[in-house]
Amino acid sequence: MQPKFLHIKKLSKSFPIKGQKDPLVVFENVNFSMDKGEFVCIIGHSGCGKSTILNALAGLDVPTSGTIEMKGLMITDPSLDRGVIFQNHSLLPWLSAQKNITMAIACRYPKMDRKNIEEKARYFMEMVGLHDAMDKKPSELSGGMKQRVGIARAFAIEPKLLLMDEPFGALDALTRGKLQDQLIEICDRTQQSTFMITHDIDEAIMLSDKILLMSNGPQARVVEAISVNIPKPRNRAEIVKHPAYYKIRNYLVDFLVNRSEEIKAQLINNTISDKDFPLVIDPFKSSSSKKKVQQ
Amino acid sequence: MTEKNKAILLSISLFFLLIIVGEIVTGNGDRSKANMTEYEILMGMGEPEAHVPGPIEVGKLAIKELSHPFYDNGPNDKGIGLQLLYSIGRVMAGFFLAVIVALPVGFLIGMSPVFYKALQPYIQILKPVSPLAWMPLALFVIKDSIMSSVFVIFICSIWPMLINTAFGVMTVKKDWINVSKTLEMGSLETAIKILLPAALPTIFTGLRISMGISWLVIVAAEMLVGGTGIGYYVWNEWNNLDLTSVVFSILMIGFVGMVLDSLIAYTSGFFNYQE
Repeated sequence: MQPKFLHIKKLSKSFPIKGQKDPLVVFENVNFSMDKGEFVCIIGHSGCGKSTILNALAGLDVPTSGTIEMKGLMITDPSLDRGVIFQNHSLLPWLSAQKNITMAIACRYPKMDRKNIEEKARYFMEMVGLHDAMDKKPSELSGGMKQRVGIARAFAIEPKLLLMDEPFGALDALTRGKLQDQLIEICDRTQQSTFMITHDIDEAIMLSDKILLMSNGPQARVVEAISVNIPKPRNRAEIVKHPAYYKIRNYLVDFLVNRSEEIKAQLINNTISDKDFPLVIDPFKSSSSKKKVQQ
Repeated sequence: MTEKNKAILLSISLFFLLIIVGEIVTGNGDRSKANMTEYEILMGMGEPEAHVPGPIEVGKLAIKELSHPFYDNGPNDKGIGLQLLYSIGRVMAGFFLAVIVALPVGFLIGMSPVFYKALQPYIQILKPVSPLAWMPLALFVIKDSIMSSVFVIFICSIWPMLINTAFGVMTVKKDWINVSKTLEMGSLETAIKILLPAALPTIFTGLRISMGISWLVIVAAEMLVGGTGIGYYVWNEWNNLDLTSVVFSILMIGFVGMVLDSLIAYTSGFFNYQE
């Protein structure tokens, strides 16, 4: 059998607490998988360990137990196969926007000559609509522009998997909307496999093929995997007319407002088992169509 | 009137005030023989006497010295410019030797918590030692007075550089280090492409402090070892009871110190970045 593109098995993270015997378990028994070309969002309240999962996928953080496999190979260290877009752009402030990107490209393709690297950098800057700002330092760019350079940098290394930690979290609503549209367009075109953390339900529905829902921490789990069966390409004005949109949206709101805390309590009281998590659910069809996830 | 102009005006007025007050305070009264009793003249009170010079006297000497700053009439009579160059040369030699040692070691300490903890006690003990305390040891081991004063500069300027480099490297934003990790950079590549540019402003702060201390210390070191240099010059003029030259060299030491400091400040401007 062909190994899954990305397969996370029994992942957990815990921290020892000073003066206490038991460590703090942030999340445990986290299982999920992802196909090539899929866009997956993960949603959950603060403190459930979303960022830790993303950092573990990036190879920047080491999980306490469990494994992450990409095409059958274990992930233990950072790699150019996985590009990361951090919440706060993380551009190097002493380099121009262009140099930030050429540096990444030079790391990805060490044998590429200067001219080709610069051409590639220009291509990706144009992709995010920033070719006029090539020579500007990050401090001379607005928040949205910085994040766009960050996106261009991540796409420029042409990663197999793109990881985004609330990439638009620090931006105002207008800029965020614009960047989301741009990201949708780029991802549709490049068929980029993407794993993204977000707090924004509409953003998740707009972008995702699958939305992972986490119960509240500590001892959080990835509880459900929501299928978003709305055809792509999507656009902001049309998507709200699709009959599935509000079903999914209401389902997500209900989960975040009520169920994420209930499930946490049930897990602690052992009234439900996490054996079959995450349950695959399509809110559009019926909430009774819960079926066991194929591991 | 703008703030800048007000400051300039105040500064100039202060200059003249200082000259006038200086002249009054250092004035030695009427020393013409006509006003003295025969006894006073017999006691030699009309003869020239060492006294704290007034500003005008210093000014006259400054004009004379600065119009021929590089003359050399043997060991005890060299121009002020020449003496300053000797001192600057020693400071530069010691300073750059310290840079060569402090930067790599600072990176090592900053990048490795093990080295940081292991070297910390040595740094903490050696740092507060007055650099001149090293002089006897240096003289005995090196057996050369000029090289010994270079060593003293080296040892006093190494600590601020070392500590600032280590601190600069240690406090590089974690995000930037994560960037280097996700780009699969090795340690050396990370050090050169990420840590060095990120830490340079902090490193330059260390260099500036070191340069300031070096310039303070070289005067004292040269008073001890003698021969050449501005420190020796000051002490030699004290032995000559030529206080005018002493005051003049104080001003020159201050001026050169200011130039050295602003040179580093200017250079660091090229490596600053804004977040």
